[in-house]
Amino acid sequence: MATATLFLLLFACMFMGMPIAIALGLSSVSTILMFSNDSLASIALKLFEATSEHYTLLAIPFFILSSAFLSTGGVAKRIIDFAIDSVGHIKGGLAMASIMACMLFAAVSGSSPATVAAIGSIVIAGMVRSGYPEKLAAGVITTSGTLGILIPPSIVMLVYSAATEVSASRMFMAGLIPGVMMGFLLMVVIYIVARVTNLPSQPFPGFLQLARSGGIAMGGLMLIIIVLGSIYGGIASPTEAAAAAAVYAFLVAVVGYRDMGPIKGVPWRKEGEGMGSVFVRNTVQMVGAIPRSIYNKEVNKVVLDAAKVSMMLLFIIANAMLFAHVLTTERIPHSVAETIMQWGLPAWGFLIVVNVLLLIAGNFMEPTAILLIMAPILFPIAVQLGIDPIHLGIIMVVNMEIGMLTPPVGLNLFVTAGITGHNMIWVIKSVLPWMLLLLFFLMLITYIPQISLFLPEYIDSLKGY
Amino acid sequence: MLGKMINRLEESFLCLLLVSMTLLVFAEVVARFGFNAGIHWAQEVTLTMMAWFVLFGASYGVKVGSHIGVDVFVKMLPRDVHRAVTMVAIGLCLFYCGLFLYGSWVYVGKLHMIGITMDDAKVMGEEVPKWIPTSVLLIGFSLLVVRFLVLFWGVITHKADGFHLADEAKESMHIADQLKAMQEKEESK
Repeated sequence: MATATLFLLLFACMFMGMPIAIALGLSSVSTILMFSNDSLASIALKLFEATSEHYTLLAIPFFILSSAFLSTGGVAKRIIDFAIDSVGHIKGGLAMASIMACMLFAAVSGSSPATVAAIGSIVIAGMVRSGYPEKLAAGVITTSGTLGILIPPSIVMLVYSAATEVSASRMFMAGLIPGVMMGFLLMVVIYIVARVTNLPSQPFPGFLQLARSGGIAMGGLMLIIIVLGSIYGGIASPTEAAAAAAVYAFLVAVVGYRDMGPIKGVPWRKEGEGMGSVFVRNTVQMVGAIPRSIYNKEVNKVVLDAAKVSMMLLFIIANAMLFAHVLTTERIPHSVAETIMQWGLPAWGFLIVVNVLLLIAGNFMEPTAILLIMAPILFPIAVQLGIDPIHLGIIMVVNMEIGMLTPPVGLNLFVTAGITGHNMIWVIKSVLPWMLLLLFFLMLITYIPQISLFLPEYIDSLKGY
Repeated sequence: MLGKMINRLEESFLCLLLVSMTLLVFAEVVARFGFNAGIHWAQEVTLTMMAWFVLFGASYGVKVGSHIGVDVFVKMLPRDVHRAVTMVAIGLCLFYCGLFLYGSWVYVGKLHMIGITMDDAKVMGEEVPKWIPTSVLLIGFSLLVVRFLVLFWGVITHKADGFHLADEAKESMHIADQLKAMQEKEESK
């Protein structure tokens, strides 16, 4: 009875268009009131604890802040220049460079639609100009944009570890190989297409130019190295790494790249300026720029945008913790697991069911909402069937990637439709072949757990566990 | 005028909380790696700020439409049916707030009566009673009630059909617009 009430209320509230956070909270509180003896005061206490007792959750606002500073057109441009200089000379190089740029920008920004918007609006037009079919260009970018939630640091993974109490550091280790593999897979397919249809390649710009553009892009890319390095090395927790990343991202955006803030657009060296003057002027400006950012309009807007998104996510998570509490006290995952055991469903069969369920849910809901509702249910079942929780997490994230490409809620489709000016049907058609590739990749991830588990286990063995 | 001022106030408070949380954790990292020291009250203060950030921010989120939800189905309904559904939904949201307001009132009252203090955080050597940071529950949910009443009025007066929900795809488009502006600037040079 309690189970039916909980889910009926949840879906009824959600489909009425209510904010998901409140739908989760209301259905959980009502179920608690109807079927258990908990007082409202104890529920209020739980909600306050959910927002104030989880140090790991702090990583979410910090990563959102750091990506807000670096999700700008300027950073996208620098990354694209670097990618074109490094792989552009191969056949189909421009498309491969776009995929590489998507992977790098996705890792920095952690958001899939932002990646498609930033990289797509530059490279799709560029690819069409150098003779690629527009459909191919749009399809590739829309698909590789989804890598944003798989390549660490990823917000969606932090949400998964909040929902299941799996270590976020280990999730970040597990996502790296699948993310890079998916990017590589896309590049290989592009190379084959390029060979067959004779797509153009760019001239190689020379190692000097490559080093130059690499150095410029490194300012933003260092963020990935700092975060992953400190987490993989076990020096810092994700929360600490994220706080350092946010401060670093601010410095790069305001002082280094000067894309925003009080010294926006001021060149490092003016024409004909002496070295001494360059040094003194830059030092004075840089030191001045940091306090001046406090009341700078652009910097304020970036912080406010980050505040809006992180507060929304954390409010959902707080309510989802009430939801998870109801699930455990009513032993819902436990009874589902028992039923499945009775059916004699093997682990691989369960994983098929998981994939189908998640793919359907991905059509209607945002990744974070799906994870927070589904993970607490699937997690205990998976553990009983002997599936590694980290592996389950990666499977869920890859499913969420596909969800971003399926109508009616596929975010990436809307962005591509927006930047190319074509209608949704055209975009869906362009994405279709690439989505099949993604489905094939999902099968690989699902049935070869080593792809996800190799790196975390290897790092454990290095540390002597 | 008053609306604008309240807006500014809410925004500045939220930004201030976010920035202070970041800097406090960052300072702790620097203290640990650079000086081999710790700030023993940092964790409790940061976490309390997070609670304020989330619970205070929830109502601001309703106003500016930063919450996410599923509105593909209600948007297919005829307009008046959509409005009726939204009114019911707002009623349920108010019920949710009411439950939490009552629960928080009892909980904060109990904390006040027992007189528990915070573990590490002290203000000028004085212990801080725990009910003070916890009272954000009451503040947050009261503000949320206000926001939902405003929205309800909006639906009655035909100013709104449904909840104002976030659209991440639309928000990402501003990067595309920014790039377009950059390109046009370069071409005109």
